[in-house]
Amino acid sequence: MKDFLKRYGLWVLFATAVIAVGLALLSVFSTTSSPLVNLAQTVTSPFRAAYTAIADWVTDKQNYYEDTTALKAENEELKQQIAKMEAQVRQAQSDSEENKRLRTLMNLREQRRDLSDFEAATITEHSTSNWTSYLTLNRGTEHGVEKNDCVVTESGYLVGVVSEVGTNWCSVLNIIDTDTSLGAQIFRTDDIGVAEGDFSLMGKGRLRLDYLPAGAQLLNGDLVVTSGLGGYYPSGLVIGTVEEVQTDDSGATSYAVLLPSVDFDALSQVFIIKSFDIVD
Amino acid sequence: MTPRQETIHKWGLYALATLLCCVGQGLVLQYVTVLGVFPFIYPILAAVVSTLEGPLSGMVYSLALGVVCDLTISAPIPCFYTLIFPLSGLLAGTLARKVLSSGFLSAVVTSAAAFVLTGAFHGLIFVFSSRPAWAETASVCGRELALSIPLVLPVYFLFRLVWRKSLENQPTRL
Repeated sequence: MKDFLKRYGLWVLFATAVIAVGLALLSVFSTTSSPLVNLAQTVTSPFRAAYTAIADWVTDKQNYYEDTTALKAENEELKQQIAKMEAQVRQAQSDSEENKRLRTLMNLREQRRDLSDFEAATITEHSTSNWTSYLTLNRGTEHGVEKNDCVVTESGYLVGVVSEVGTNWCSVLNIIDTDTSLGAQIFRTDDIGVAEGDFSLMGKGRLRLDYLPAGAQLLNGDLVVTSGLGGYYPSGLVIGTVEEVQTDDSGATSYAVLLPSVDFDALSQVFIIKSFDIVD
Repeated sequence: MTPRQETIHKWGLYALATLLCCVGQGLVLQYVTVLGVFPFIYPILAAVVSTLEGPLSGMVYSLALGVVCDLTISAPIPCFYTLIFPLSGLLAGTLARKVLSSGFLSAVVTSAAAFVLTGAFHGLIFVFSSRPAWAETASVCGRELALSIPLVLPVYFLFRLVWRKSLENQPTRL
């Protein structure tokens, strides 16, 4: 290398100077870029474009990844927010329904001063057998519930009668169950009868009104309420309406098929009448 | 394992299988209402165990099952299932041992018999309560039977698994 510089150093220096002067002159006298620069730029231009494209692609990918990660996190957060809000909406709906029921119950309290003590209860289980019709509620002796307490809806429609009570639960025989028997009265005519569950009607969600007086004139749609006779149950609780009047198998007596005012499958909350005043 | 431990082990497994079926009834089957009825697994349990174990053991198991049912399910009389399930178990065990060979078909037949017996008992109670409803009783019984009888398949194979396991564990006696 030393020898090379000693031998050709001056020539190299000279050549460099010539090229430099040449380039300077070309740049001074040329209106566009110098030919050498132009040549170099032209040759490298596709490579630059490719480099830029690759760099852009990598940047895009990086941005996409960052955006996706951020969006995923945001999406998760939004989902959680939606779930929370949905839960709040459900709770609000449930509260609203409960509020509506309690308002209706307040009206019932005002209308029925004799029904003094109600206990709100939630249905925890519907019938667990195809042969009976009953409900299990989440209220029991610790809430003051007793056997034979009447259970009604917020509108005062009779659901059934408490048949068994535990500490924090009770079973309610629905009015359509075969073991249910209640003193009943036809609201329009004041005729007295007995509303009883009948297995052949239970599957259809109906019950029968028996022991009607001989001259009873029933019409379809007649309202039937509890009679309250004997003081076992409050009077005036709506049992249902007369759907049809039929003659017994013997042909001697007639009975009415009653359509209960309660849709047992749709019930979720009911009210237990813990005490009542006997109305003469 | 001694024979005593073996027996305890086997009946412990039967109890677990029964518990599993009870959970299935309470969580799932009770909400599958078709034609106004839902499947009812308990008579099948009484029949299947009696088919596998014979009339005496089957009757004792069915008695325990009946007591559990009476404590948890509302019935026309307080001891309804305590009375009817041992009878079903006795009938199922006897049929499986004396008339049919102990197997899946036998379990199907005895389960059907258990449903018919339960339905007939319901019908009798309605007669005693001065409100006979034989037509409706037969209708409910038929629908309940038709809807529940496919459950014999999983119940039978579940209990047969326990039964076979206990057979494998038994020491060979010469």
